[in-house]
Amino acid sequence: MIEAFLEGLLLVLQWKAFAFMLLGIVLGFWVGLLPGLGGTTTLALMLPFIYAMQPIEGFAFLLGMHAVVATTGDITSVLFGVPGEGTTAATILDGHAMAKKGEAGRALGAVLASSLVGALVGALALALAVPVVRPLVLSFGSPELFMIAIVGLAFIASLSAQGARGMMRGFLAGGLGLMVATIGQDPQAGVARYTFDVLYLWNGIDLVPVLIGIFAIPEIVDLAVRGTSIAGELPKGSLNKGAFEGVKDTFRHFWLTIRCSLIGTFIGIMPGLGGAVSQWMAYGHAAQSARTDEERRGFGQGDVRGVLGPGAANNSKEGGALIPTVAFGVPGSSSMAILLGGFFVLGLVPGPDMLTKHLTVTFSMVWTIVLANVITVLACFLLLNHLAKLTTVRGQLLIPVIVVLIFIGAYTGNNHYGDIIVMLVFGAVGWLMVVGGWPRAPFVLGLVLGKIAENYLYISVARYEAAWLMRPIVLVLIALAVAVICYPLIQSRRSRARAAARHA
Amino acid sequence: MHNKASLALSAAIMACSGFAVYAASSWPWKAALFPIAIGIPVFCLAAAEVVWSLAGSADTERAMDFAMSDDVPAPIATRRTALTVAWMVGFFAAIALIGFPYAVPLFVFLYLRLQGREGWIFSVLFSAAVWLFFHLVFDRLLHLPFPAGWLF
Repeated sequence: MIEAFLEGLLLVLQWKAFAFMLLGIVLGFWVGLLPGLGGTTTLALMLPFIYAMQPIEGFAFLLGMHAVVATTGDITSVLFGVPGEGTTAATILDGHAMAKKGEAGRALGAVLASSLVGALVGALALALAVPVVRPLVLSFGSPELFMIAIVGLAFIASLSAQGARGMMRGFLAGGLGLMVATIGQDPQAGVARYTFDVLYLWNGIDLVPVLIGIFAIPEIVDLAVRGTSIAGELPKGSLNKGAFEGVKDTFRHFWLTIRCSLIGTFIGIMPGLGGAVSQWMAYGHAAQSARTDEERRGFGQGDVRGVLGPGAANNSKEGGALIPTVAFGVPGSSSMAILLGGFFVLGLVPGPDMLTKHLTVTFSMVWTIVLANVITVLACFLLLNHLAKLTTVRGQLLIPVIVVLIFIGAYTGNNHYGDIIVMLVFGAVGWLMVVGGWPRAPFVLGLVLGKIAENYLYISVARYEAAWLMRPIVLVLIALAVAVICYPLIQSRRSRARAAARHA
Repeated sequence: MHNKASLALSAAIMACSGFAVYAASSWPWKAALFPIAIGIPVFCLAAAEVVWSLAGSADTERAMDFAMSDDVPAPIATRRTALTVAWMVGFFAAIALIGFPYAVPLFVFLYLRLQGREGWIFSVLFSAAVWLFFHLVFDRLLHLPFPAGWLF
């Protein structure tokens, strides 16, 4: 185990893997700063470029990029009150309030230092989870793995939107993803399903153009509709001022930072919750740590603890989210679903093999998260003044560059014009989903899990017939899926009853 | 807009899942098991969403996802959305006709000039820079095979 751990470090430090990680960091760095371009979108954009890479290089590139997006996204949130990423919105409450009070440097110092602590806690959790998770994974057969896929889908579908109708849309989106995954030649009977005699469709719909279309096109359209630069005017003066004070704040409230990191890690492990939830829970916990009412009223007005909590949780969730992705092949979020696509592109199958045969690759991911965050935080401290200027790039300059990138990215899926058509079609689907208020994460999860789930279901039915439904772990997982679906509904009904009682 | 988009999407899903189940019913069970197991519940859920949308009930649920900006008047937003789609479809047509290496600088130049109202010199220099990046990274470094267009 320790040998594999150290070997993972040495593999990441090989010049080629390290160079790809640095390239990923540079890309993730800019993407995090720009609100118009999400980390998940960029991950989808860059997926085609790992085809020619070795697994270590591919993951160093993708994870290096993804690990730093939340860190730099916090910078935009603090400076402009505009979330650099969907997962960095909670940082605005106190971070931007601090910036308005002339404490931007301190807020940035705090958010960068807490991000680093969070990333280290998440990576440590991933490393420690390997020996614990391994026996559990090895005891799972096809029926259990199929049910885990269903539970993951139930989690993300029920939690990615509010209310009964929102949940229904989540399940519809997930179901649509599963249905799209059935297009192509069936692996069991060799039937060409929904191909309409089009040869391109025989191999199924490629993941990359779908992901690019569904995530990038709605964001490009939105940027064009707004017709403005991404952010407003830059604040005057040096932002470096007070940055060291923010670092000291992190250590002054060290246990709060650790607790919020653990919250982020735990939520990262749970499929379907993700960063958007963890940042608010961490913020809530930070607010809870206030001892008096007066202290609590300071939250939202520029209390540094309101910056430390979300900052730490945002980065610790990545290590946590990798645990179910690597060990079970169940991604906890859209970005992890795309990363799961990366596994297949690189010829790796998530699951037991990642904890035995490819253990060094798993540990190389841990080291990539650690190294990428350390490098980014150091670079941020050196570049604080210049960073802010990037968010004023005009949308009119950004759009043609992004459009060129997404077309090339989609085309390289199969080097076929059909990929571009697929991207445009799913771009329209993504736009309709966003406009209609549908969550896109369950669709992506359904698409990614479709082939895996079908394979496990077929093996389960062929091997055990209906008896697979009576296996103990399967029963537990069915109960969990039901609970996952019912809990938000019960919770919503309770809060409505409480509100009605208050009005009465 | 919110409800119309949802109605269009759910009606399309309903039609697709109905067709998916119908087509799968003639396949061997090995191939049909999963499409039918998924298609039937998806059809029912889509039908429920269609009824919900047609009933015109207040749609207050919010997805935990990125939301379109609502600070631009609807007619302007619709026109800009249509223009963006037209630019993308135009770019695809240009790729098919003249290939990626020529379509990339042409698209960037035309977008900057016509949509961005940028000056001639800036548009030429920026387009050249994007083409150089495209050529060095995707052609020279990654050796991606870009076929010629239908015209040349």
